[in-house]
Amino acid sequence: MLAWKMQAEKQGYFTIEEWRRGLKALRADTIIKLKKALPELEKEVRRPSNFLDFYSYAFRYCLTEEKQKSIDIESICQLLDLVLGSQFHSQVDLFVQYIRTQVDYKVINMDQWMGFYRFCNEISFPDFSNYDPELAWPLILDNFVEWMRAKRS
Amino acid sequence: MAPMDCLAYSKALLKPLAFSFASGSSLPTCDTWYFRNAYNMVLHKFGEKLYSGLVSTMTLHLKEISKSIEVAQGASFLEELNRKWADHNKALQMIRDILMYMDRTFIPSTHKTPVHDLGLNLWRDNVIHSSKIQARLRGTLLELVRGERTGEIINRGLMRNIMKMLMDLGSLVYQEDFEKPFIEVSADFYRVESQQFIECCDCGDYLKKAEKRLNEEIERVSHYLDATSEAKITKVVEKEMIENHMSRLVHMENSGLVNMIMDDKYDDLGRMYSLFHRVSNGLSILRDVMTSHIREIGKQLVTDTERLKDPVGFVQQLLDERDKHDKIISFAFNNDKTFQNALNSSFEYFINLNPRSPEYISLFVDDKLRKGLKGVSEEDVEIVLDKVMMLFRYLQEKDVFEKYYKQHLAKRLLSGKTASDDAERSLIVKLKTECGYQFTSKLEGMFTDMKTSQDTMQGFYAAMGPEIADGPMLTIQVLTTGSWPTQLSAPCNLPSEILGLCDKFRTYYLGTHTGRRLSWQTNMGTADLKATFGKGQKHELNVSTYQMCILMLFNNADMHGYREIEQAMEIPASDLKRCLQSLACVKGKNVLRKEPMSKDISEDDSFFFNDKFTSKLYKIKIGTVVAQKESEPEKQETRHRVEEDRKPQIEAAIVRIMKSRRVLDHNNIVAEVTKQMQSRFLPNPVVIKKRIESLIEREFLERDKVDRKLYRYLA
Repeated sequence: MLAWKMQAEKQGYFTIEEWRRGLKALRADTIIKLKKALPELEKEVRRPSNFLDFYSYAFRYCLTEEKQKSIDIESICQLLDLVLGSQFHSQVDLFVQYIRTQVDYKVINMDQWMGFYRFCNEISFPDFSNYDPELAWPLILDNFVEWMRAKRS
Repeated sequence: MAPMDCLAYSKALLKPLAFSFASGSSLPTCDTWYFRNAYNMVLHKFGEKLYSGLVSTMTLHLKEISKSIEVAQGASFLEELNRKWADHNKALQMIRDILMYMDRTFIPSTHKTPVHDLGLNLWRDNVIHSSKIQARLRGTLLELVRGERTGEIINRGLMRNIMKMLMDLGSLVYQEDFEKPFIEVSADFYRVESQQFIECCDCGDYLKKAEKRLNEEIERVSHYLDATSEAKITKVVEKEMIENHMSRLVHMENSGLVNMIMDDKYDDLGRMYSLFHRVSNGLSILRDVMTSHIREIGKQLVTDTERLKDPVGFVQQLLDERDKHDKIISFAFNNDKTFQNALNSSFEYFINLNPRSPEYISLFVDDKLRKGLKGVSEEDVEIVLDKVMMLFRYLQEKDVFEKYYKQHLAKRLLSGKTASDDAERSLIVKLKTECGYQFTSKLEGMFTDMKTSQDTMQGFYAAMGPEIADGPMLTIQVLTTGSWPTQLSAPCNLPSEILGLCDKFRTYYLGTHTGRRLSWQTNMGTADLKATFGKGQKHELNVSTYQMCILMLFNNADMHGYREIEQAMEIPASDLKRCLQSLACVKGKNVLRKEPMSKDISEDDSFFFNDKFTSKLYKIKIGTVVAQKESEPEKQETRHRVEEDRKPQIEAAIVRIMKSRRVLDHNNIVAEVTKQMQSRFLPNPVVIKKRIESLIEREFLERDKVDRKLYRYLA
């Protein structure tokens, strides 16, 4: 979250600019003030208008290599839990279970990442009654829904 | 002149008339008296009285006539009626002539019925519709028709006259007094008869009977009924005999449509077609049953594993089935286009049920182009190829066919096994017409390579001439990589005699074509060897390149172990084993002897030159280069390659579409791509989706930020 506020480019590194930018935005110039600012920050992150930006930032944050476009399944599972776990607990659990077991995809790209967030927001759970595979959902989500339906019956 | 009593006048008028006609003599000589009096009466304003007098006199007269008809017995009833009617007509004519002045002046001005029509109406009301005659007339007529239907001979002339009488009285009279009851009774009659027939006849016989009845009715109408009745009565027969029993007839066990088709009963089928054509939905029932029958036999054909062991026979069977049904449609179904379409769609359906159909069709063509068309005339060749093209059109996966065709063609060309160059070219042209230049450009490239190679060889031998005159004769085909099916060239150690020549060729070729790279495809070559065996018998062996290398080893020693050979040759183990098997384990071609004598090749085997080899033939072929049905792993491999080839094609289509449309929703993209690809194969929507996502990842496309169904082209 802190990295997002600072809009840090590289995972695990903060440039002086980024550091200054972030702390200024948080109005914190001591460690104590920083600690206090964190809960506020969390609320800010959770605000729907910011969350989308935060969510996509989280993905990009994990692209450590240059020209890397996708993240391996294991990392995705952890990232999902971290970012969406509290908000969409059951969806994340099941989806994580699914992508660990399927064999079609070894990595997840940005499109699929963003697609999942939309999915959690728009599709009724756990029945998926309003899911229409004719629409342009990423294929991995089509397969996920099919897998869920098969599991249930 | 004193005004005459009109009534008396008309009485006077009618009596002699009636009398004279009954006796056949003509009007008495004072007919001018009649004219004059009629004229005067009208002139002096007595027209009304004249008219009413006419009416009452004629009415009375007709009532008399009616009675005389009523007393007629049996057959003479109609005859009497007919006779009296004839008389009446003649009388009417005369009366009309006599009263012409009244007809022309008095009647129009008073809007009364003209004389002739009056006469007809009075006849109708007093005779035909008299209580004792009306029902009897109707009954008699219907009885006669029924009699004729059951085989009796009736007086048709009489019937015709009676019918004409009814028509003359007005078509309404005809309809009410005859036609309507006639139709009703006929319907009952045919309902009963059709029920009897259908219980005891088979389909073919029933149809013959139905046709006969139909023709009878048409003939009846033409002979003695009014023409307007034809449509009505035929409709009755069609409904009762055909429409009501359509389903039962078509599905009749052992004699229904399916049996007729299987037994090629053209007559029966033609009859069925023309009869059912008359009935609404008749043809669609026929078409549906035929379609499901063809689909059924087709499905059985393509899933019959026994039959599928012989691909050439299988395809021949497909062609035969198509021919058979084609004939039926053209001979019996009047070449009906809707049936043709049904036939085509059925074939398309079941041919694509078996994913190996493209391969089999290519094998069939391969067989024909190798030897099957020897001695066949040029036109017949065209016919066979056209038929093959028909099957080709049914394929959904035309790109699979292309792959196999290329493989088979390569084998044919390289082993020199094409029976007719013209036939090959002809087929390529047909494929080009059907699928476009793209489809055949590589195939044509293959032909070009063969030709060019010939020229190259000539040049080589001319240039090298004396240097290589006493070495083995080399024929080399130079293949352009892109055109020919991809083969991995495995290593192979050629014998020194050959190697030298090969190098010379390489130098020569690269001398004239700098910048090219040559790699030997040793797995596709052949060689002719002259061998001398133990007792001095000489044979010429036609073998593959690998086999040649193996055999040449035995020029140095009589015995070689498997491992020795493997080391010396350096060719892949599976190929080596296959070659050794064909050289040592096949009866009649065992130029090598193997110890132990088992069927399979093991690494510990030893091989000996078979001194004792004999054969009746001088030239022996031991090659292994014939095109065969692929083994399971090979099939998977080919299928995999086809799928891989399709991916870039689909992507290219997507990019093309998006470039021109800029923004498009998912369903439309899928539809467009399918349309673009359909001449080659049917793309799977899931595959298309995957390709779209791949393109999104590579930033050729993006999803629209607002409407999630849309994709956008990224320039």
